[in-house]
Order: sequence, then structure tokens, then C-alpha cells
Amino acid sequence: MITALLPTDHFIVMAVYAVLVSAFFALLWREERRERLRLFGILLAALLVGGLAVAWLMYPFPK
Amino acid sequence: MTSEAAAVRRRIHPALAALLAWIFPGFGHFVLGRRKTAVAYAAIVTVTFLLGLSFEGRLYTIDRSQPLTVLATFAVSGAGLLNVAARLLSDNPGGTILSPTYEYGCAYLLTAGLMNLLLMLDAWDIAAGKK
Repeated sequence: MITALLPTDHFIVMAVYAVLVSAFFALLWREERRERLRLFGILLAALLVGGLAVAWLMYPFPK
Repeated sequence: MTSEAAAVRRRIHPALAALLAWIFPGFGHFVLGRRKTAVAYAAIVTVTFLLGLSFEGRLYTIDRSQPLTVLATFAVSGAGLLNVAARLLSDNPGGTILSPTYEYGCAYLLTAGLMNLLLMLDAWDIAAGKK
């Protein structure tokens, strides 16, 4: 039942992954709240933009 | 850091802190007095692991014909009791390779294990006074 509620959209699944990983490393690598938020934003943007860039580069090679 | 937290840190051997961190994500930090971050770590790693299971990812076991499964098994085992409980309770520990989210599930499970391995090292460093 819960499984049916989970997203299967690739971008959403990747975005959730990016949020979790960014939050983890922001907590692990920084001590101050402001610095953590800044690193979280940088990591999240890097993962999302990087993921989209790789997807775009792979677009001509579907198989 | 408060003197109480420093006193707790002195009482706990780094190896014990790392072991507690392995048992459950964030537990090592919790006993070392970093309770807020411990709760956040527990939430992040547990959610990552449970999403990996829900996405029908694979709880890797060593397959001699595929040497990379040794590394993957080590990574997933980093999730501690979450991994043990999932192997005991899951009716589909091998995942569903035909599921559209199988690869994501594997990535989530591997990442959860690797994150907890990093937490073990972090707990070790905190208990040893290096952080």
C-alpha cells in the first residue's frame, strides 16, 4: 500500500536522493547552522544540475 | 561544548562509540552528547534505507562470480541493525530487478550503509577528541 504512494518519476527520486545526501554532508562537514544551510544549498544544486547535465549528455545514447 | 558533554566523551572509548554508531545510525553521536545531530542522522540514514527497500533495491550478498558484490555487501552492511532486520524481515531481499526503481533502490541502500560507515568514523573522532 505504501509502495503505491512512492514516486517512480526519475527526477523526483533523484531529487529526494539529492536532498538526503546534501543534508547528511551538510551536517557532517559543518558545525554552524548558517554554514550548514549554505553547504546544503551548494550540494543540492550541484547534485541536481550535475544529474541533469549527465542526463542531457546521455540523451543521444539511449541504449 | 559543555563540560558535561566533554566528560561523557572522555568516558567512552572510540571503538565503543563507533560500535554504537554502527548498531543504529546516530546512536554513537547520541551517547557522546550530540543529541540533536544524532536525531537528524538517524532520520536521514533510516529514511534513505527504508526508501531503498521500498524502491525494491537489493540487499547485496557476496557472489563469487561478481567480485564487486564484496564491496556492495560491505557498504550495505554498514547500515548495522537496519540491514540485519531488513534481511530477516524482508520477503524480497534480492530486490526486483525488473522494477523501474530497482537501480535507485540499490543506490539508496548502498548510500545509507556508506553514510553510516562515515558516522562510525565521525563518532570515533569525536570520542578520541579529534573533533
